[in-house]
This record gives sequence, structure tokens and C-alpha cells, in this order.
Amino acid sequence: MHLSTRRRRLAGGLAFITATALALTGCSPIGADGGTSDSSDPIRIGATIPLSGTLAGFGSFLQWGYQHAVDEVNAAGGIMIDGTAREVELTLVDDKSDPNEVTSSIKTLISSTKVDALLGSCTPDLVNPGAVVADSQGVPFVAECTPIEVFKSVKEWTYAWDIFFSVADQAVAPFEALEANGIETNKQVFILHDNGPDGQAIGNEIWPVVAAEQGYTVAGNIEFPADNTDFSAAIQKAKESGADIVLISSITPAAISIRKQMAAIGWTPKVIVAEKGAEPVQFAEALGDLADGIIVGAYWDPSFGYPGAEELKDAFESETGLTSSQHIADSYTAAMVLMDAIAAAGSLDKDEINDAIGETDGIYAVGPVKFDDEHAAKIPVVSSQWQDGVPIIVWPTEQATGDFLFPVP
Amino acid sequence: MNSIDPVGLANTVLGGALLGGLIALSAVGLSLVLGVMKLVNLMHGQIVVLGAYVAFYLAAFWGISPLLALPIVFVLGFAFTAPVQRFILAPVAKHGEEAGLLTTFALAIILENLFIRFFSGDSRSLDTAFSRETLAIGPINLPTIYLIGFAISLTVCLAVWMLVTRTSFGRSLRASSEDPISAAIVGIHVSRVRWGTFALNGGLASMGGVLIALCFSFTPSSGSEYLLTAFAIIVLGGLGNIMGTFVGGIALGVIQSLGAYFMGDGYRTFVGLVMLIILLAIAPNGILKRRRSL
Amino acid sequence: MKNGISILLSRIATPTRVGPRDFIVVAVLAAVAFAVPYFAGTYQQEVGFRILQLGALAAAWNIAAGYTGLVSLGSAAFFGIGVYTMAIASNAGLPIALCVLLAAVMAGLFALIVSPALFRLRGLYFTVGTLALAEAMRIFVVNSPWFGGQAGIFLTARAPKAYDLYWIALLIAVFVVVCVLLLLRSRWSYRMQAVRDDEDVASQLGVRTYRTKLWAFGLSGALIAIVGSIQALNQGIVQPNGGFGMSWTIDIVSVAIIGGMGTKVGPWVGAVFIVLLGEFLIQFPEIHLAVVGVVLVLVIRFMPNGIWGTLTLALQKNRNFS
Repeated sequence: MHLSTRRRRLAGGLAFITATALALTGCSPIGADGGTSDSSDPIRIGATIPLSGTLAGFGSFLQWGYQHAVDEVNAAGGIMIDGTAREVELTLVDDKSDPNEVTSSIKTLISSTKVDALLGSCTPDLVNPGAVVADSQGVPFVAECTPIEVFKSVKEWTYAWDIFFSVADQAVAPFEALEANGIETNKQVFILHDNGPDGQAIGNEIWPVVAAEQGYTVAGNIEFPADNTDFSAAIQKAKESGADIVLISSITPAAISIRKQMAAIGWTPKVIVAEKGAEPVQFAEALGDLADGIIVGAYWDPSFGYPGAEELKDAFESETGLTSSQHIADSYTAAMVLMDAIAAAGSLDKDEINDAIGETDGIYAVGPVKFDDEHAAKIPVVSSQWQDGVPIIVWPTEQATGDFLFPVP
Repeated sequence: MNSIDPVGLANTVLGGALLGGLIALSAVGLSLVLGVMKLVNLMHGQIVVLGAYVAFYLAAFWGISPLLALPIVFVLGFAFTAPVQRFILAPVAKHGEEAGLLTTFALAIILENLFIRFFSGDSRSLDTAFSRETLAIGPINLPTIYLIGFAISLTVCLAVWMLVTRTSFGRSLRASSEDPISAAIVGIHVSRVRWGTFALNGGLASMGGVLIALCFSFTPSSGSEYLLTAFAIIVLGGLGNIMGTFVGGIALGVIQSLGAYFMGDGYRTFVGLVMLIILLAIAPNGILKRRRSL
Repeated sequence: MKNGISILLSRIATPTRVGPRDFIVVAVLAAVAFAVPYFAGTYQQEVGFRILQLGALAAAWNIAAGYTGLVSLGSAAFFGIGVYTMAIASNAGLPIALCVLLAAVMAGLFALIVSPALFRLRGLYFTVGTLALAEAMRIFVVNSPWFGGQAGIFLTARAPKAYDLYWIALLIAVFVVVCVLLLLRSRWSYRMQAVRDDEDVASQLGVRTYRTKLWAFGLSGALIAIVGSIQALNQGIVQPNGGFGMSWTIDIVSVAIIGGMGTKVGPWVGAVFIVLLGEFLIQFPEIHLAVVGVVLVLVIRFMPNGIWGTLTLALQKNRNFS
């Protein structure tokens, strides 16, 4: 029983210590740190990007796009804030393709690096958690690489913005491309899609509706998890359905496996559309001539002639020696939109920057950018087709860079 | 919704059986390591991935076809894993079984990160002329690459079985596995046997990785899935039982393809894992095993 | 099956002496930690949150792994259950405290359901079984139509402030520590250690091994789920690859091994080490995980009792000689 008295004494002691500590240090916990910075400080912009893990394929393009934009602005003398030119300092952190890392790194960027604004990671999996944190802490956040419907569906945003294409446009594009190029098929489509946010949207909701509108019938629709590797059962069913057209929405490893396994069972549909997964160059590299004829929605090619587009591609290819990707254009644009907004605000006040982002209306390297009421700026979609390891634009006809390859060889 | 089409189902099941036999090659070594060394090798999946990368770069730089590269991959896999056992795993063996398990766990983390550093996070895939051919037997279409992989896997498994049952290394291995102390007393160099077993596993797993990469795509992070598949196979086949592992692979392939056919591809791995847990629980020594054949 | 780590551990962890002094130390440390948000900035609070989070996870894992010999690589399953319970329950409008409680209950139920299969496995096979279990759970949540698939669930509740999270994490950390201390004071600790050291002998001595294992595994899992439920609040959006991700298992095991398995203080030492290492290496993201891996290999080889275990052993030796 002596223990209980001791515990009581202990509780008393604890209360005393706490009370003293509180009295000594004031009475409220330290919340969001004040944004006081003197004019010699740089303007701080931060982002998490996937440099390792399953989405590392995107990370290097984002890294280059963000850095290139910041370097350009700094080379031109930085940004005028309250009448003084200030440099921009970019802090990029690896999120390891892990949503938990995005949350904790974005928090660290806000609280420790004390960023004035943030840029996004890539894919909804990694963009949404970052946007949620930025939004709740009142830090302007400009993302790309997340289809606008998926971005809008999370919540009503205040501080987060997204510049990307629309899944609905992406879903319609292949049908438009078939129509415009006068392709004859049995008008039966088979849908294979993953259960990621964008995969579910396009596979379950948008494609079935669009197909019906365009006079096609859906012969089957199969959903699989994003990191699935073996698709033989699904492909077998697709083959049995007799559909001429296969519509796929998946990440790159899955898209590669699907195409290989189609070849392995000796089945070549007349038209293969592989959204998202077929977009990076690694898709065509991994598949070689099996990639030929595969259609994928795209949103950028230097040939579109937006200001700075050609220069951007040349700069990337000469600096890195790699083949460019459209992700350099949207990441570069997102960073430029953000820095233009900071310049327009002429202040590092987060609300003023945020208002200025909302006012954005201009033509950037990726195309025209103007945000709607739900904080999304839509960039138009084109259809591209892999031919000899190169993406050829096949729709819209006026932007086409080559002929439509039909059927899939 | 979907009516069952007997031809499609037959295609699926046969394809699954071939694929399972093919994947069994990646599990044979794991079975030996667990049976002989009593080591749960959590870096197994990364060794499988390493084999795939070696074949990928051999093909990319020297144009060596992945199938012809198999012997080279075996040698490199062997050479890479031998020092791991000798210098990293053997010294911690005295701290008990869990020390070895946790060390391989740490090595798996390190390897995966090195892969990302050196090979990038991109998805890769191996290709041969056979990858896109099929063999038609009546209404059944079987991928040629599955048949070739199945044959290679069967051949290698037979060779390993001969090695274990018919050679002096095999005798030492069986003796060390059953009773290491007595084995040491009769003059068997137990630590050398362990070293050989682990390196043999390295070579076999790397070759298994090549076969898998011929059928699917792979990334630096693919390892953990291969590890769990390999575990499911050896549990089905019985630990340390070589031909049992091969049969276990076929069984798992059939079960998974049936699961995938009726529940969707997403449940393929799930079915395998649930099977693994149930089997572990009802028969920790494997179901295909009547008596210790090793 | 005997295992070496356990034998080594039994030297330092039995007999476990938990006296009033331990509770006083915890109370004083908790009081100091409580005051942190009054003088440290948001960043320090966030780092503190992560240390408390990882420490509590490792301490909870330690109940099963360190004291009972149930080395699990399936922590992500329990963590994920906590994450998703919080997301679903709080979106349904339940008060946060009830959601946390619900997370613990769900995890306990889960332990109860899987225990008949898992507990047939001994030693290494148990470990492999838990690894498969966690992966199966992740795939199930990704695939099943009820949990939002890969897209996950957005939490409609107002996002908590950094100090709110810190204090909640502190409360939970103290709760976990008190649970561990009370457990070590009770008769259960003898049963657990008997099971760990030799299950067959324990059962012959009349210990109900199954029940002992279930209590340890269930309590460990429930505490992990409680910490997981807070992670859902921290993120504001939950996804299968985040909640059920292998990275949690990796973190928990690393923290416990580096700090010292089967010791009271080890998990907290390990958590401080891992979190600060992570913050230090933030400039070198490409080597972060590889460094953790190398540290693990070195610790297992040269300090098999972890930082804390090695320290206490050295101190004991010193005392014996002097």
C-alpha cells in the first residue's frame, strides 16, 4: 500500500513540474512559426519528388524541370519582393515513392526549411498527401502530374493547385483518333485498368460512358491492383471476348507485362491503348518493337510551338544526354507559374501568393494555364502512338507528326 | 457475369502450371538454404532481381541473349553471394537464427537501394525471339517462353537433385543439414558446406530471376514479391526437398491461376499468400513430403 | 527451437526489475516532454512526434518480439488496421478518442482471428508467416471494394496542429510505456519469458502457452494499431501503400534492433537514433536507407543486444569487477 501513496505524491510532483514549466515559458504552445524574414533571405521553394522507389522514373524529370525553372529565374536576377530582388532557393527531398514520407517531408519543409511555397510530387498517390498538408497549413502548393478530376475529388482546396490534363479528355482522345484517321474495327472494346485513383476513374466511370457515346460496346472490364505483375487470366478473358480494341490504364511495369503476355499467348489486338503506363520512354525501351502501334494520351511535344518549348527540350537533352519527357514541361511550367505568382504578389505573404496563383492566365511551355473554380488548370490532350521507339502524334490531325499505324503489327 | 469457358480455363491452368514450374527455379536455392543452413534468407528476392539485371545488362551491352547468358548469370550470382555468407552471415551465426534473418533483412534494404542508385527506378524487361511465340495444341495456346523456361527449370532442378543425392558435396550437405556437430566430427567441413550452399542458392536464384524477367517486367523493388512467392513454393514442396520444390511450383502456379481466373488477377498473389499461411499452419513441413528425401 | 538472441537477451532482461523508480523516471520525462511545445518550434515538435511514434511502435513490437519471442515482420498489418479504422470511424463522425479505442479493438480481434494459424508456427516460421500475413492484408485492402482501393480515404476531420499531434503522441507513448512496465511487473512477464526461452518446457511447467502468446501478440498489435490511428490524423489522407507499407515494418525492426530488443529503454534509444539519423541524412536522400541497412548489419554483428543492451551489459560488468 505504500506504493499508492507514493504514486499520489508522484502525481502531485508531476502537476507541480508541469505548472512551473508552463509558468516559466508563457502559456501557449508555439504554433505555426511567424513568416518574418529579412530581405537578404532567399525565397524558399520546396518539393518532395520520387527519386527512389517504384515511381523513381518520374523523379529525375521533375527534379530537372523544377531546377531549370529556378536557375532561369535566378539568372535573370531573381524575384522582386517589396522592391528588393531576391534569389530563389529550391529544396528538393526524396519521398521514396512513399506517401508517409511525403507527409513528413512536406511538414519538415514547412516547419524547418520554412518554405514560402511548395511544388508537387508525381502521381495522385504522392501529390494528394502533400497537398492535404500544405492546404491545412496554409502554404501555396502548385502540383502537376495528377489528373485534374482526381485532384478535385479529394476535397475543396484553398492553397493547393493542379496543372494537368483531364481524365475525361484522355478517355475520349483514342476514340477521336480512331475516328479522325478512319480506322475500321468491330467497335468492341475491352477495358483493363488498375485500381489507382485515376485508373478507377477512367476504367469504371469514364471509358464505359465514352465508349457508349461513341457507338462502341464494352466486351469486358477487368480491374487489377496497381502493382500487379501477372495478367494472364485477364488477357485470356480479353482474347476470348473477341474485342478488336484493348484499353489499358496502368502504371508502366504493368503495361509492359500486359503487352508481353499478350505476345506470349500469341494475341495481337488491332488497337492497343495503354494510358499512363505507356507514356515514359522506358516503356518503349523495355518492349522494343512490341511497343509499336500502342496509343497513349500525351499532352506535350516540343513541336506544339508553345513559348520556350523547343529550348526546354534542347536544354534537357544537351544537359542530361537523355531523351526528353513531357514531364519536364509540366514541372517546369508549375515552377514558373508559382514564381510568376510570387513576382505578381511582390510579397512573401502566403495568402497574397495564393491569390496571385489563382489569377494566373498565360501561355507557358506546356500550354495555356488558367485555373478554374476548383483550383485546376486543364491542359489539352493529344493522342500519340509509339512507332520505332518514338512517340508520334496522331491526333488532333492539325498537330499530327506522322501517320496512324493500323493494325498493331 | 462471366460464364466459364472450358478452353480459356484450360489455357489458364496449363499456363499457370508452366509458369509455376518456371518460377520454381528461383525457389530451389531458398529451400536448400532453409533446409541446410536453417537460415531464413530475406535477401532472396533481391538476388533474384540481381540476376535479372545482370542478364539485362549483358543483353544491352554485349547483345548476349538472356537464355545464353544463364550460365554467366549463375557464375556471377554464385560469386556475389559467396563472400556475403563468408564475411557477413557466418560471423553472426553464433548470435542465433534470428541474427541471420535480420542481417539478410538489412542486406535486402541495402541491395534494393543500390539497385535504384545504379540501375534507376525504371521498369525493365528481358526479351528473346521466343518471347512472342506460341505453341498451339488444338485449341490450347501455350507461350513458347513458358515451355522453354519450364524445361530449363526442370533440367536445373534435376541437376541440383543429382548434386545433392549423388556427389560427395551432396553427402556432406545432407550430413551437415541433419546433424552439423556429428558431421563436423566425421571430418566434414561444415562451414565450407554452408558457404557452398548459400552461393549455390545465389547462382540458382539469379538464374530464376532471368526466367521470371523473360515473362514479366521488373523494377528494383520487385524483390519482396519474389521472396514471398518462393516461400509459398517451398512450403508447398517441403523444405530442402528439391524435386518437391519443383512440384510445389507447379501446384502454386495452378492454384494462383485458378484464383486469378475466378477472382481477378489482383487476387493472384493474395491467394498464394493465404495458401502459404494456411499451409504453414497445418503442415509446417510441407504437404508433398512423406519422408525426408534430402 | 532455441535461439541465440533470446538466450543472450535472457541474461539482461530476466529477472526484469521494474520498481517505482521506473514510474518516477517516466513521469519526470513525460512532464519535461509535455512542456516541449511551449519552447520548441513546430519543426522540433514534428521531430518529437516522429520519435514518440517510432519509439511507441518499437516498444509495442518489443512486447511480442523481445519478451515473448514472437519476432513478427507483420507489424504493417496492425499499423494499417489502425490507420484505416481511424479514417473510416472518424469520417463516420465518431469522436477521436473512440476511434483510437476502436483501432485497438479491431487490431485485437485481428490477432485473435489469425492466431490459430500463426501460433502453430514456431520461431523462424512464425516470422515468415507474419511477413506473408502483412503482405496479404495490403493486397486485400488494395483490391477489396470497401476501402477506397489505391485511392484511399480522405479524412474529413479538421487537421490537427503540430502540438496537438505531439501531445497525442506523447500521451500514447506514455500509455505504451506504462503498459510495458505494468506487464513486466505482473506474473505475465514470467509466463512470457518462459514461452520465449523454451515453449515446450514452459507448457510442461503448466504455462498456458497459447493464451500467453495471444495476450502478448494481441496487446502488441493493439498498441501498434493505436499509434497507426494517429498516423491517419497526421496524414489527413490514407492509402494502402502508406498504411500497410513494408516501410513501417522496416522502421520498427530497425529501431528495436538498434536500440536493443527485449529492453525497456532500447526502443526509445533506437527511435531517437533512427529519427535523428533520418533528419541528418535529409540532404543525402539517396543513401539514407542504405545507411540504415549498414548500421543494422553492424549492430547485429558487433552489438547483438543493441545500443542500450550493450551499454547496460558493459555497466554491469564494470560493477562486477570493481
